[in-house]
Amino acid sequence: MKMLVRLKPWSIGIIGACLVSGFLAPRAGWAQESVSVRAGLVKGTLPADDPAAAAWNSAPASEFPLSPQVHWPNRILEVTAQSVKVRGLHDGKQVSILLEWADPTEDPDDAAALEFMVGDKKAHFAHGQPMAQVEGGPVNIWFWKNKDAKILDMNAKGFGTLKVQDQQDVTGKGVYQNGAWKVVFTRPLSTADAVNDAQIKPGDFINIAFAIWDGKKDAAGDLKEKGSQKAVSSWWYFRAEPPPDYSGYLYAAIAIGLAAGFQFVVIRKLKKGAST
Amino acid sequence: MKGGSLFKPAILIVGVYLFLKFALPLFTAPLPASLIFLYLALTTTGIVIFATLSGQSTEAFFGPITRFLSGEGLAGGMKTARLLVLVLFPLLVGWQTYSSTAPSEQPPAENRTVHPAPPGEFVGLSNPIPNTPDNVMAGKGLYAAFCSPCHGGNFDGKGMAAKGFNPPPANFSDPTTIAMLQESYLFWRIKKGGVGLSIEGMPWKSAMPRWEVELKDEQIWKIIMGEYDGAHQKPRTWE
Repeated sequence: MKMLVRLKPWSIGIIGACLVSGFLAPRAGWAQESVSVRAGLVKGTLPADDPAAAAWNSAPASEFPLSPQVHWPNRILEVTAQSVKVRGLHDGKQVSILLEWADPTEDPDDAAALEFMVGDKKAHFAHGQPMAQVEGGPVNIWFWKNKDAKILDMNAKGFGTLKVQDQQDVTGKGVYQNGAWKVVFTRPLSTADAVNDAQIKPGDFINIAFAIWDGKKDAAGDLKEKGSQKAVSSWWYFRAEPPPDYSGYLYAAIAIGLAAGFQFVVIRKLKKGAST
Repeated sequence: MKGGSLFKPAILIVGVYLFLKFALPLFTAPLPASLIFLYLALTTTGIVIFATLSGQSTEAFFGPITRFLSGEGLAGGMKTARLLVLVLFPLLVGWQTYSSTAPSEQPPAENRTVHPAPPGEFVGLSNPIPNTPDNVMAGKGLYAAFCSPCHGGNFDGKGMAAKGFNPPPANFSDPTTIAMLQESYLFWRIKKGGVGLSIEGMPWKSAMPRWEVELKDEQIWKIIMGEYDGAHQKPRTWE
């Protein structure tokens, strides 16, 4: 008894389209500009103390808007720096982060800082201040000031708790050119002091925040921005990119082999069944 | 019409898919892909059970599939279709494997609850300040001094200090903010600030000051009045 196969090619097309559209269904994603800084892996030398190095041109820049620090007194309602451009590079051992922002004047008290959470606990972006319903952790702050020509490695857990670490791990340099600052911060990706230092593991997204001070003085000789009166961002993400990972292709190849093998076995069995 | 036993299920599956994907969202929220997949899997299971109830229906259902896959007596378009299926199936499996094992390049997705539940002591409080033009005016003055730098002179969340903050300051003229909240909720949010939020509100990201440090309760209640009036919204009530 021979039966006709009535499946029309177009009906197969519809079934196929449904299958494919099921696989193509939108997945949870995150598409927004500059939510993270990506520090690419470099093979050669890291521009660890050279904010003007050509190597930085190859690093993609992320830009983050800045606000005056209004969260706690003494607050400020207007600041010079409106945004900060951030680039990152790492060589598997050390990470360098370059900040770039517009400032019409070079002043001895111009300053900038990076902030990270330390450990597993979340920390408030304002110096890790205590939160009512969540137990927070400390923050690690890397602070550069023009006149000091060095970077301080500090910690805070709440207002008024800012403390310079005994062990200083961060180096860097600032260069003022054409109405803009470029400051590079460099530190080993990981340090021995996991209690106080942010640990940067390639591939992991960690939180980062920024602060900029315009050290210009007003007519009375007072600093326009100082201490808590600064331009700030809230938390964004930072990632030191991991070495390229091709294992996905290998797994896909194995899956294709298995699926093809399964097909072969099934069809052979069907053919045997049909011929008996 | 023996081939029809395969044709009908195909139509049924396509119909169910189109219904779930396009028709149902007219009445409900769009269904997640995983739920659609689950429903389609259930439909397919139902079809297979129905088709295998008797030996005859089993043959009618699986016969065409068997012949299609084994290639017995196929010609022309069907021959090409069979080849296509045999090539595409392993590729699809490979692609699916790749996309599920490839490391994520995106920052972790954040599911922040914008209006998490307030602590018990802030539920159901009513504004003790009489709603008089003077008090509303006073509230607006306090708003201008303390709140407008971020929440904006127009109550739209677009103050000059707003743009660096993530999450952005609330836009009170948006009907999904203060219009769907009670006054007691605003009292909690203003008094305790961003750091007063519960964990699902991600308090570590909020720039909202803890105003209890600088303002009296009475001033906060007046600000709430000024805010509703200025944003042309009404507090939510339970009557």
